[in-house]
Amino acid sequence: MMKDKIKKIGRVSYLLLLTLLLTVMLAEASEPTDDLKPVLTNLSIEELMEIEVATVYGASKYEQKVTEAPSSVTIITSDDIKKYGYRTLADILRSVRGFYTTYDRNYHYIGVRGFSRPGDYNTRVLLLVNGVRINDNIYDQASIGTDFPLDVDLIDHVEIIRGSGSSLYGSNAFFGVINVITKSGRDIEGMEVSGEAGSFNTYKGRFSYGNQFQNGLEMVLSGSYYDSKGDDRLFFKDFDDPTTNNGIAEDLDYDRYKSLFGKFSFHDFTLQSAYIDRKKGVPTASFETVFNDSRFFTVDEHFYIDLKYEHNFAHDLSVMARLNYNYYDYHGDYPYDYADTGAPPYIVLNKDYSRGEWLGGELQISKKLFEKHKFIIGGEYRDNFKQEQKNSDEIQVYLNDKRDSNIWALYIQDEYKILNNLILNAGVRYDNYETFGSTTNPRLAFIYNPFEKTTFKLLYGTAFRAPNAYELYYNDGDISSKSNSDLKSETIKTYELVYEQVIGNNLRGTASAFYYKIDDLITLTTDPSDNLLVFENIDNVETKGVEFELEGKWEGLKGRISYTFQETKDKKTGEILTNSPRHLARLNLIAPIIKEKLFVGMEEQYTSKKKTLAGDFTDDYFITNLTLFSQNLLKNLEASATVYNLFDKKYGDPGSEEHLQDIIEQDGRSFRFKLTYKF
Amino acid sequence: MIHFAVGDKKAYIKFLCLFIIPTLSIVSWEINTYAQQPKIGEYEVKAAFLYNFTKFVEWPTEATTDSSATFNLCVLGEDPFGKAFDSIQGEKIINKKLVINRFKELHDIEKCRILFISESEEERLTQILKSLKGLHILTVSDTEGFARQGVIINFYLEQNKVRFEINIDAARRSGLKISSKLLNLARIVYDLP
Repeated sequence: MMKDKIKKIGRVSYLLLLTLLLTVMLAEASEPTDDLKPVLTNLSIEELMEIEVATVYGASKYEQKVTEAPSSVTIITSDDIKKYGYRTLADILRSVRGFYTTYDRNYHYIGVRGFSRPGDYNTRVLLLVNGVRINDNIYDQASIGTDFPLDVDLIDHVEIIRGSGSSLYGSNAFFGVINVITKSGRDIEGMEVSGEAGSFNTYKGRFSYGNQFQNGLEMVLSGSYYDSKGDDRLFFKDFDDPTTNNGIAEDLDYDRYKSLFGKFSFHDFTLQSAYIDRKKGVPTASFETVFNDSRFFTVDEHFYIDLKYEHNFAHDLSVMARLNYNYYDYHGDYPYDYADTGAPPYIVLNKDYSRGEWLGGELQISKKLFEKHKFIIGGEYRDNFKQEQKNSDEIQVYLNDKRDSNIWALYIQDEYKILNNLILNAGVRYDNYETFGSTTNPRLAFIYNPFEKTTFKLLYGTAFRAPNAYELYYNDGDISSKSNSDLKSETIKTYELVYEQVIGNNLRGTASAFYYKIDDLITLTTDPSDNLLVFENIDNVETKGVEFELEGKWEGLKGRISYTFQETKDKKTGEILTNSPRHLARLNLIAPIIKEKLFVGMEEQYTSKKKTLAGDFTDDYFITNLTLFSQNLLKNLEASATVYNLFDKKYGDPGSEEHLQDIIEQDGRSFRFKLTYKF
Repeated sequence: MIHFAVGDKKAYIKFLCLFIIPTLSIVSWEINTYAQQPKIGEYEVKAAFLYNFTKFVEWPTEATTDSSATFNLCVLGEDPFGKAFDSIQGEKIINKKLVINRFKELHDIEKCRILFISESEEERLTQILKSLKGLHILTVSDTEGFARQGVIINFYLEQNKVRFEINIDAARRSGLKISSKLLNLARIVYDLP
């Protein structure tokens, strides 16, 4: 009772605090306006570089403006990452309009447009790091948790591009593309050491070096080490029985990784490479394994090395070529009890293993023609020369599947300025898969600026996702799953109308309505005839919804508020899909406490109830994260403290087919402290 | 019609407090104050940059110890600055008064310390740069591709913020000394091969 009361007081004071914050913000901003305009000649170059200029005639000629992009785009910067205390890419994505994530204490899963299918390892979102594809060639997995190859501290910004992108990127660019751009040598400029400590015995260390030299060489080198013990006594009520340790999984939530990143640029050449080795204990006893067996873990390793050449020739001609080698390696130990019912346990470790290796190459030429056209023509080739999946235990080998395949593709895009305020962006891509044949995907976008501050975008696109090696060929000898090599490619048609309006000097509003239609969706289901997990093409799903967002930026202060309503239905049954919330709301605010030195970053995230596999619902929840961030209080030192889930909200995400748990409970309140020092 | 179906009444109130009220208050405030807000124009900021550059660029002594009492900032071609120069005109630079000169053609150009080459000169840029050879003039522009063709400093915009690139080869040829601080803030480019 007492605890409840304290909680209630806490919530009320939090609401009051927020209102206060807003009032202060408004009061500060409505000071006599003459003082707001600085005498520009008194400012330093660094200060001048921070001024946002009113968009006028000379608007950006280099990079495409967000308002001119043929999609709905959100950009998260390194500044956000620091001031909101983001630890993983999942933390970043969760804060973005229309996105949600779920976590099963092994991997993180992306939800977008009401989609987050059980058993789907983020195959419907394309993840790129500096343009290099991260989705592997076995599971197509976009790793966004601690298994993401890049330490988030090294991110300069993340572009989140909604809608189908297959006309430029091919498979996986189904619901969107997430392009992570890393920092350059000049952003780090010297040595940087960072250490952090958090709840559940979590520690992370990072050492980075970056520089730009007079001869034109620019480099970044960085290494990180992360070790988290996790929640050492995780309780699962579904296992609450004396024979299964009363539902308590002990010391099984650990998470460790080491990662390396390097990037070297010299004139037109860029060489980059990333590596991660991550080991995660699995406390959920998924795939019908033995509960609370300390040997249950998975290891994911990912490596790539990429050489890129990019040159701008005269007459608006530019050429980009890249070549990369990638590997992905996964293995896990799954403890099974082979004893007959009633007999003493006879536990055998099932070894699951996969390895993928691939070479990728891409050539892209862009050229401006007749003032009004900007063409991009490109070709891509991927040689999946190793796609291996194995499953065995001491008794026998259940699976030893070795494949290879290749993909080639051609694409063309034209940005046509029909009128000064009307752009047509049209593209088409042809993909040829050795496995299932070819597919052609168009995209069409009209971008119309009837007034200086108003933009309308009408977007249409189709996209596909080829069934991957895991979905096609994986089975563990019919212990818990079987393969289905008859799988077809799934396809999507997307329609979206976006309205963007600049309000005053500092606000930007976005409203969008979308309708997506998916055919032959690949979903993990349980075959009722033999109780085995299997992937199948489930027909006709459609999603429709609306989104509203308001972003504001003032001196030192910025924030955004968004709301998404979506309805994602299986057309046959008319029912809302599992793990698909109808309502999402996001609030993000960074406010200075001491000018340029001390900031508070606050996040509020609302997710409505989600249907579980058993037909039940998870509770809806509000989650609050609060960060205090300081820089230069001591010279060259950045310090931050974050409380995640400030009000210790109890909430859970739906489990997948492989879980006995219908709902997997998430972490309560947790902390993190972080120090970063630059030499 | 969208039916708002948040779990219970409490969640609805919380939603209202956290999302709707702040949104409405910010928007109404922004609209109310918009009319009074001064705008900082792109070219006012660029003018301030030009003024600032003089602190980080060293001209050879023969160029600065001449007898004239003015520091000449010249614009070649259509002038995009207009009134934006008001804030820097007459400022003191190395004991000289900053004066703005506007040219359509290339005569008397040798008295300029800084020469802003307008986008209108795109067609004859190579010719212009050729005739500047041997003169210690800081060339500046804000047109895509100009730096790679030999202009020393070229402005560009990134998320509505003014950035600049420096052509190291062109800087070396001009005989000007550009401080490393300026180089660090710039995107470095080179001549087209």
